[in-house]
Amino acid sequence: MPKRGALPLGTLLVLLLLAFVPFPLSGCLLDPCLEITPNTTFRCTGLNISGVPDGVPNTTLNLDLSFSNLKSLGSNYFTSVPELQFLDLSRCHIHTIEDNSFMDLPSLSTLVLTANSLQQLGKAAFNGLTSLKKLVLVETNRTSLSELPIGHLHTLQELNLGHNSITSLKLPKYFTNMTSLRHLSFFSNRITSISRGDLDALREGSRLNLTLVLSLNNIKSIEPGAFAGIRLAELALRSAFESSMMQTALQGLAGLQVSRLTVGVFSDHDREQDFERGLLDGLCQVQMEEFVLICLGDFEDDTDTLFDCVGNVSSIRLVDLGLEQISQVPVGSKVKQLECKKCGFDDVPAMKLSLFKELRVLRITKNRSLKTFDQKFEGLSNLEVIDLSENRLTFSRCCSPQFRNCSNLKHLNLSFNSYIRLTGDFINVENLLYLDFQHTTLFGPGSYPVFLSLQRLIYLDISHTKTEVKSQCTFCGLNSLQVLKMAGNSFADNKLANNFKNLSHLHTLDISSCKLEHVDQSTFDALPELKELNISNNKLLTFDPGVYQPLQALRVLDFSRNQLTVLLDSAREILPDSLLLLDISQNLFDCSCVYLDFLMWIKENQELLQNEELMLCHTPSYVANVSLPSFDLSSCHVDAGKVASSVVVLLCVMVIFLLVYRYYFQLYYSVVLLSGCKHYAERGDTYDAFVIHSSKDQEWVTKELVEPLEGGRPPFHLCLYYRDFLPGVPIVTNIIQEGFLSSRNVIAVISAEFLESKWCSFEFDIAQSWQLVEGKAGIIMIVLEHVNKDLLRQRLGLSRYLRRNTYLEWKDNEISKHIFWRQLTGVLMEGKNWNHEEAKLM
Amino acid sequence: MKTSNALLFILVLLYINASTQWPTHTVCKEDNLEIYYKSCDPQQDFTLSIDHCPDIATHTFNIRGTAVLRHSIKELYVKLNMIVNGRTVLTYSETLCGPGHSKLIFCGKKKGEHLHYEGPVTLGIKEIPQGDYTISAKLTNQDHVIVACADFTVKNYLDYY
Repeated sequence: MPKRGALPLGTLLVLLLLAFVPFPLSGCLLDPCLEITPNTTFRCTGLNISGVPDGVPNTTLNLDLSFSNLKSLGSNYFTSVPELQFLDLSRCHIHTIEDNSFMDLPSLSTLVLTANSLQQLGKAAFNGLTSLKKLVLVETNRTSLSELPIGHLHTLQELNLGHNSITSLKLPKYFTNMTSLRHLSFFSNRITSISRGDLDALREGSRLNLTLVLSLNNIKSIEPGAFAGIRLAELALRSAFESSMMQTALQGLAGLQVSRLTVGVFSDHDREQDFERGLLDGLCQVQMEEFVLICLGDFEDDTDTLFDCVGNVSSIRLVDLGLEQISQVPVGSKVKQLECKKCGFDDVPAMKLSLFKELRVLRITKNRSLKTFDQKFEGLSNLEVIDLSENRLTFSRCCSPQFRNCSNLKHLNLSFNSYIRLTGDFINVENLLYLDFQHTTLFGPGSYPVFLSLQRLIYLDISHTKTEVKSQCTFCGLNSLQVLKMAGNSFADNKLANNFKNLSHLHTLDISSCKLEHVDQSTFDALPELKELNISNNKLLTFDPGVYQPLQALRVLDFSRNQLTVLLDSAREILPDSLLLLDISQNLFDCSCVYLDFLMWIKENQELLQNEELMLCHTPSYVANVSLPSFDLSSCHVDAGKVASSVVVLLCVMVIFLLVYRYYFQLYYSVVLLSGCKHYAERGDTYDAFVIHSSKDQEWVTKELVEPLEGGRPPFHLCLYYRDFLPGVPIVTNIIQEGFLSSRNVIAVISAEFLESKWCSFEFDIAQSWQLVEGKAGIIMIVLEHVNKDLLRQRLGLSRYLRRNTYLEWKDNEISKHIFWRQLTGVLMEGKNWNHEEAKLM
Repeated sequence: MKTSNALLFILVLLYINASTQWPTHTVCKEDNLEIYYKSCDPQQDFTLSIDHCPDIATHTFNIRGTAVLRHSIKELYVKLNMIVNGRTVLTYSETLCGPGHSKLIFCGKKKGEHLHYEGPVTLGIKEIPQGDYTISAKLTNQDHVIVACADFTVKNYLDYY
């Protein structure tokens, strides 16, 4: 039997072997495929296999075999996965694709063969791919189109031949049949020239939507007429030409009809292209809708011809150009949209741009050098949109003088600039609907009613413009305004007063991050249509129901990042039924049980509340940072059992307290007796007896008890309170220490007065307990004759004691006295230590 | 007994999986400047060289880098962390290929393609800090997937001019 814990030699060997197997092999030991979606999508990458892995079921639609070492594909290679729609064979070291390799894949729509240096490609390699829409042959060592066996792929929509060594764009005849082709890419090939007839296959039939990418080639020449009669959706020519051959090559585009033409370079391409006079002359013969010129440097003074041949294009985009000014604009230009992004302007070239009479949309954005706006736009009666955002503009007298006779302007974007002074003059642009100044420092708004003439404006964004709203009439005139965004500004005294009184159509109001501390009662009275209110990131302490009551159309309310402690019942009641989203996260919530109803409301309204995970308790400190929705409400519910037990405990304590108060002396001396009796016992017997008696019986005691006993033979020594108690010591201490502890016996003189006296009964109680504890001092009872028996019976304890114990009865006659004396001396004699003298006397 | 065997078996397999470590490559080794790197992408290594090492003091220098893309780079973002004594003291990030604007040639390359960059690099910081430290570089794509990842060990005592 093998010992537990000892590894059998065989297992050890296997493990050692495993430790040294190369990594790819160990991959095979594990399941090689990752199931991305059950039964349909599998990823089996980096494998050293031949054939589809066994774990892939025949229901698979998408299969990724990239980075595997397949080497070659034989016929019917994918028989086991006939439903396949997507097949990725990127970088699989495939050098050979035999005929009919994809024979059993009638549903395959995408085939990716990126980065396989195909050396042998069978004439019928792609046979059977009757639904193929996308074929990627990037980096596959292709040198010519004619050898590609794809003529029968009539359904093809996208053919990507990027990063190959194709030298000629001569499209074989079969392209005529590919009527669905939308995207044909020769990105980064070695095409050097395009000749007449190369693109004949595209000329036939109605082909409107083809995008042809010829970027990153070495085109030296395009034979005039090569593109004549061709219609394309897009033609991309970035870094497509050999150095300095661009101008002549572009001439060859004559006769082309294209929706979008992109010309330019890549910024990291070593062949830089400067703009030279007449560079784009060739485009005069090209019919296009959109022209994109991208990444050209060094415009210098040669821009005269920039728009010469593109003046009839409806849309022009100039991106990342060193264009510093616009020198010449052809008369009768038909440009409707013009965009200059990342150009080199210093001043807004408004005068020249005003020559584009048909202009409807103008965008000049991301110009780092654009700082001034001195020129004026004039007579652009069709202009609707001007976007001058993300420049570094600084100018005054905004915004009427800059736009003369531009009465159709509806959309003005001056956001993300440096500094703009508003005068309130918007006369030329009274029809503005959208005005955006965000993140541009403004002067004017807040101090003066600058928007008075913008009666039609529906959208105003002055967020983060360093505006301080001081004037009550800041937004006067904006009677149609629907959206007001003014986050990141401030209000006078950090108080929201009657600032929005005329904005009765307002739908959206953003006053977040405005340092607000207080909102006046009537602030929102005039906003019955408000649907969205963002008042987050302020310093508001309360949600006053009276303030928010008028907002009965509210759908979204963001009250996050304030200093709210609780949403009181009255505040929750006024929240309108239309409210869909409420954000009160990141406030300083008080999770005391006092607000139990609020905490319960939070739990019940989790659908309404946003950012629940950020709703945290702030106080009390023991629940700080506890999430509100997960707050344990049961900690606030009072437990009946706990209440009952605490009441019982309290009652017990009270009872004990009362008892202690009532029997304080008894208890105290019980303790003294129990703890200290041993100590006191060592005091020895100074007295023969301690006499307990009422002060009213003192005469009897002196005459009938002390004189005969102390004067008699043998003489007894009695302890009497009026004689032997030490002054300055509490009575009770004397009773215990001088009386009980120092006496061998206790003589109780029971009379009517004894029964009346509290001290006497106390002394008698102690005597009894003393007798019980020590078992030493005997109690000698002397009952005087005139004691009322009824009273004695009332003192039940005493009467019971008398019933159980023998006692002496004093009667005032000689015979009785004699018997009394004999009995008393007899008792006292017991246990007395006689010294010599006394013994002699006897 | 069976359980312990299975456990050991799994441990051995894990060890094999986790032990893929790429070698450390040397980029620069000069008197005042040493730069080494090691790929931290378990799937692949890559090559990188600097044309003239002392040029890094001029803020713009030429590099050559080659890698095989495991993921497409429709968008590409670079993030650098400078780590001194195990603590990140500086982070720097930049968009190389942003959505909708591909100013660099390699933007838009797909999975499996060869990525080769040969050209100038301009640093966004004033000067490369002196001393011994590690720079952890990560390239991520539009899906936040790591495209390439490397830890550079730098020993830099160059004087700036």
